[in-house]
Amino acid sequence: MRTSSPSHLKALKRKLREDALYKGLFTLSAFVSSMMIIIIIIFITLKGIRPFLPNYEFGQQNLWAFLTGMTWRQDQAVYGVAFIVINTLISGFSALLIAFPISVLTALFIVKIAPPLLSKSIETVVEILASIPSVVYGVFAAGTIVKLVQNLAMLGQIQTAGGNSLLAVILLLAIMIFPTITSLSMTAIKAVDKDLELASLALGATPTQTNFKVVLSSAKSGIFAGAILGLGRAFGEATAVGMVAGNKMFGPSFNPFDITRTLTTTLLAGLKETTGLDYDIRFSVGIVLMGVILVSNLAINAFKNRIGTIK
Amino acid sequence: MKKRNTQDNLLKALVYAASSLSLLVLVALLSFMLQKGWGSLSLDLFTRPYWSEPISIEYPSIYPGEFESPTDLPEGAVFSEAYGFALIDSTNPKKEAVLELVYLDPNSPLNHGTNIQAGHEGEAATVVVGYWVDKIGYMNTKGVVRSSGRIVGQNAQKTIQALDQSVSLENAYVQTKGGGIVGSLLATLYLIFVSLLLALPIGISTAIYLNEYAKRNMLTSWIRSSIELLTGVPSIVFGLMGVLVLFPITALFSAQGTSILLGGLTLSVILLPIIIRTTEESLKVVPQSFRDASLSLGANQSQTLFKIVIPSAIPGILTATLLGIGRIIGESAALIYTMGTFVSDDPKLLKGATSLAVQIWSIMSGDQPNFALASAISLVILLIVLILNFSVKLLAKRFRKVW
Amino acid sequence: MENIFEIKNLNLFYGDKQALKNINLNIAHNAVTAFIGPSGCGKSTLLRCLNRMNDLIPDCKVEGHIEIDGEDIVNDKINVVDLRTKVGMVFQKPNPFPMSIYENVVYGLRCQNISDKKVLDEVCENSLRKAALWEEVKDRLKDNAYGLSGGQQQRLCIARAIAMEPEVILMDEPTSALDPIATAKIEELIQDLKKNYTIVIVTHSMQQAARISDDTAFFLLGEVIEKSPTKELFHIPKDKRTEDYITGRFG
Repeated sequence: MRTSSPSHLKALKRKLREDALYKGLFTLSAFVSSMMIIIIIIFITLKGIRPFLPNYEFGQQNLWAFLTGMTWRQDQAVYGVAFIVINTLISGFSALLIAFPISVLTALFIVKIAPPLLSKSIETVVEILASIPSVVYGVFAAGTIVKLVQNLAMLGQIQTAGGNSLLAVILLLAIMIFPTITSLSMTAIKAVDKDLELASLALGATPTQTNFKVVLSSAKSGIFAGAILGLGRAFGEATAVGMVAGNKMFGPSFNPFDITRTLTTTLLAGLKETTGLDYDIRFSVGIVLMGVILVSNLAINAFKNRIGTIK
Repeated sequence: MKKRNTQDNLLKALVYAASSLSLLVLVALLSFMLQKGWGSLSLDLFTRPYWSEPISIEYPSIYPGEFESPTDLPEGAVFSEAYGFALIDSTNPKKEAVLELVYLDPNSPLNHGTNIQAGHEGEAATVVVGYWVDKIGYMNTKGVVRSSGRIVGQNAQKTIQALDQSVSLENAYVQTKGGGIVGSLLATLYLIFVSLLLALPIGISTAIYLNEYAKRNMLTSWIRSSIELLTGVPSIVFGLMGVLVLFPITALFSAQGTSILLGGLTLSVILLPIIIRTTEESLKVVPQSFRDASLSLGANQSQTLFKIVIPSAIPGILTATLLGIGRIIGESAALIYTMGTFVSDDPKLLKGATSLAVQIWSIMSGDQPNFALASAISLVILLIVLILNFSVKLLAKRFRKVW
Repeated sequence: MENIFEIKNLNLFYGDKQALKNINLNIAHNAVTAFIGPSGCGKSTLLRCLNRMNDLIPDCKVEGHIEIDGEDIVNDKINVVDLRTKVGMVFQKPNPFPMSIYENVVYGLRCQNISDKKVLDEVCENSLRKAALWEEVKDRLKDNAYGLSGGQQQRLCIARAIAMEPEVILMDEPTSALDPIATAKIEELIQDLKKNYTIVIVTHSMQQAARISDDTAFFLLGEVIEKSPTKELFHIPKDKRTEDYITGRFG
């Protein structure tokens, strides 16, 4: 056998060492990648908790006041996050309420109803909308949506801060999360077993009835996954929302024509002049943001399972 | 039966209406951008700095000559027959009135002035088309040196009138036209370079580990979940993480505060899931028989990887790169925290700067949002993103054909 | 009424390929007719013509006549949706909807905008009884249909089709995905059903055809070679090709 000469054994050993080296490198990379999420959570949590601990350099903050406060004023160093959470929930869920039906119907249209050319065109439109960066949406919102809201308000003789409002935020978010929900719904609808459709048609249902009664209900779990992802995006969107929110200092804002403040706009506001406590408290807001996203994910999952049990 | 028909048609109408909404939004967005930004789009947008620089020029008493107005001056431009240049009333990004130089005759004496600014004394200086004219000093018929231009509240018409009746021109105080994106373009390129330099090797290596080495056990699925979770994290949280965790690393390189390096490091974390997922998909497609054949010929695993598997996965890696670039160009929130919001015309790796997207944010978050410039930059970004998406699709098609 | 379906000079094309050649066939009322023959010979294709499910296949062209109750369903401008309430279908793989057992059975009725709970409850019970499934599921009608065994699911699909009170039930290899015991139950059910419904069944198993059908049609390469009362076809086939098939020389 050729493999028994000493030089060959040496080469073999080198090959094995090489293998071990590379395997080590790849494993290390995987380790680093998987650690990132933990690093994010741990470090932000540690820094965000600091203001509430006794030895905090800028004066210990009251955790309860932070969590339940309804005012956020940089100049007075008053930081209450409760109303901001409520605002974030309102804007996120409202955006979902608007975007969800439109997305699902559009997905149905693309996959099942539209003729091939029209289907591909609308699909391309959705893809383009998905790739537009948030700042660009922000510019559009600040120029157009805001004017729309202003005109609407004038009809009802309501005062607005130039159109910056909760309503503008909701409309903007609805537009931004629409592509996400649509593409996930499309995947779910495509995956529905053709046999189920055939069975429905064979029972004398029209294609439209089949689509709404059978296809959509079979694609339920994928569609809800899209909704969850879309909601998460709505909660986390920062730059675009920051351009039309208005950053109210107290709240919560239920009036759609009133300016509002979300967790993300709080993180961005006044970044240029921020120091000390004002800077550090943003990490505490970061913790709250992550918490809101996590809890809402769990809530929607639970909701999905409940309506999963059939009527 | 009829009730069902109307029900059917109602539902169908609803579906068509919903689907046309998305088209409506896209058209509205594009027309808004084009309407506001088209006027600001020009080739020198890409080469101009953002901040205008003032230049003080002294002229060796220029005397009036005779110049003929060219026939293609823009409407509203006023031509000086005495000195061979034309001014037009315009506005700067701050919406203030300025006088823009729209034409300069090659024989005009204004071409030959001297710089009198500190640090540049004695250097030859000239006015250039596009500059904003704050003031032109002239000697009037009474022998007094007077000022004309924006600084004394004169518009183009009045300025040229005064100058054409003057005895000589003495000096000029001008500003280079700002509002350009050259700084942000460069910064964006640096950003792409730094992020990919980090994210590609780590991401590809992770994908290789997951696809080629990892066993199907709890540990592997845990690794996968923790990478997937990253996609659900809002980008602004990555910004927070960046200034917290990655800043000390940049401090090692003596960066102070926000920097392109910090932005790049942060972005590479954001890119990881995308690169890992796309690369893994392309690795999966490589037939197992290739690997088996290589191993059976005596190659070790590393050789098989580098000679056979990775080369076959190149299209997928290319796709991952393009997707990454698209993500970088669109990213804003994380960069605002880690790279800063001050537009730099001369970006340095260890100093803060703005990417194209962040420049838009900076423009829009001042007291006077400049929609024209913001829209123009948006159009540039949209074009780049569209080209990237199109290339990804093309790659995917060619990639599929191979197998 | 002797025959419920009268098929005359039927030809079917998938694009350029002709799948059915000059079919002339009658289906007897309130009887079980079996279509047998090797794979790909047009049995299922013809079955799907009887409720116009072939419409869903692109490039499919049908020429000729199929008459049910005097109406030509190939050429006349009939309402296809309506036809399918008269001619029901059960598929090879049981395909209940992701809903409760109750909702599966009443699905077709709801599509007809029938929503009176009393009516639905009654139809549900009757159909499940006729499908010999009532006793097994009467206490868990609200449970998800996927909790049933394969055989039960198939009987649910039959109940679902029966709920529409069709005149004909088409069955495309209804037991090929089921175990022998479930198969036996369904064969028993079919014998029962033929008292009130006409059954047309495509089957790969000659033994099954011999067991349960009254008439049998033998298909080969898109043509009906022979159709006779089952006992005749299996004992004294008229065509040599039929004889070759049933004695196992090919197929």
